[in-house]
Amino acid sequence: MDRLVFEAAAAVTIVFAALMVLSRNPVHSVLSLVVAFFSLAICYVLLFAPFIAVIQVIVYAGAILVLFLFVLMLLNVGRERPEKTGHPIQTLLSGVGIVLFAGFLLSTLRQSVTSAPRALAGEPNVLGKPEALAREFFGGYLLHFEAVSVLLLAALVGAFVLARRESHREPRG
Amino acid sequence: MIGTIPLAEVLIVSGALFCIGLCGALLRRNAIQIFLSIELMMNSANLALLGYGASLGTREGQVVVFFVIAIAAAEAAVGLAIFVALFRHTETIDVNRINLLKW
Repeated sequence: MDRLVFEAAAAVTIVFAALMVLSRNPVHSVLSLVVAFFSLAICYVLLFAPFIAVIQVIVYAGAILVLFLFVLMLLNVGRERPEKTGHPIQTLLSGVGIVLFAGFLLSTLRQSVTSAPRALAGEPNVLGKPEALAREFFGGYLLHFEAVSVLLLAALVGAFVLARRESHREPRG
Repeated sequence: MIGTIPLAEVLIVSGALFCIGLCGALLRRNAIQIFLSIELMMNSANLALLGYGASLGTREGQVVVFFVIAIAAAEAAVGLAIFVALFRHTETIDVNRINLLKW
């Protein structure tokens, strides 16, 4: 049952990720990615990570992608023109490269599966409990946690400085 | 095995998502779509981390994924601010037309 749900959610994720890459309209891209991230959250629940699944829905699908939509509205970019720039050999080479990379990645993953230890330590249902995760964050990972909060503050200030209109100072080239 | 889900399946889904994201990052010309593809690649890495974490019965995978999501949020904010500034400068976010640093 778990496996069936996981496979269905994974299939939906892959289909909508492909739609995201293939659509020329960036708004359609963002909307397909929202669906992909929702179904990825279902996968996370099945991998005993309900807290991460909630974070995925709130932060990724809720905040980051809405930010993308806002920027798209702000910039008002239309659909991509189907123009041919560069040689067709470039497209061909990139396709060949991606196929080779996929083969390499999958073979590496297969190897790592056969060599991974099979110990399922601890109760799986305790694994992703928010309380247990909080003990990790405020225990051994306290420094990292605080560093991330400083990083988010820095990103906030950086985004503000970058996106602000330069009206009061000299343009610096 | 994670419950009844084999680890190999999780990893194959993760690898497929990564390749789709790589395709998008290489083939799209709209900077925002490239950025979305990079987000997708990050999510595929998260899926692999959670799969391994669940398979090994440790919580470290989820901790790392939490940090990855936080950093992705910071990256999205700064990246989109850069696009807004760039659009103000050049009136386009087509990466073929943005060649300020190219000579």
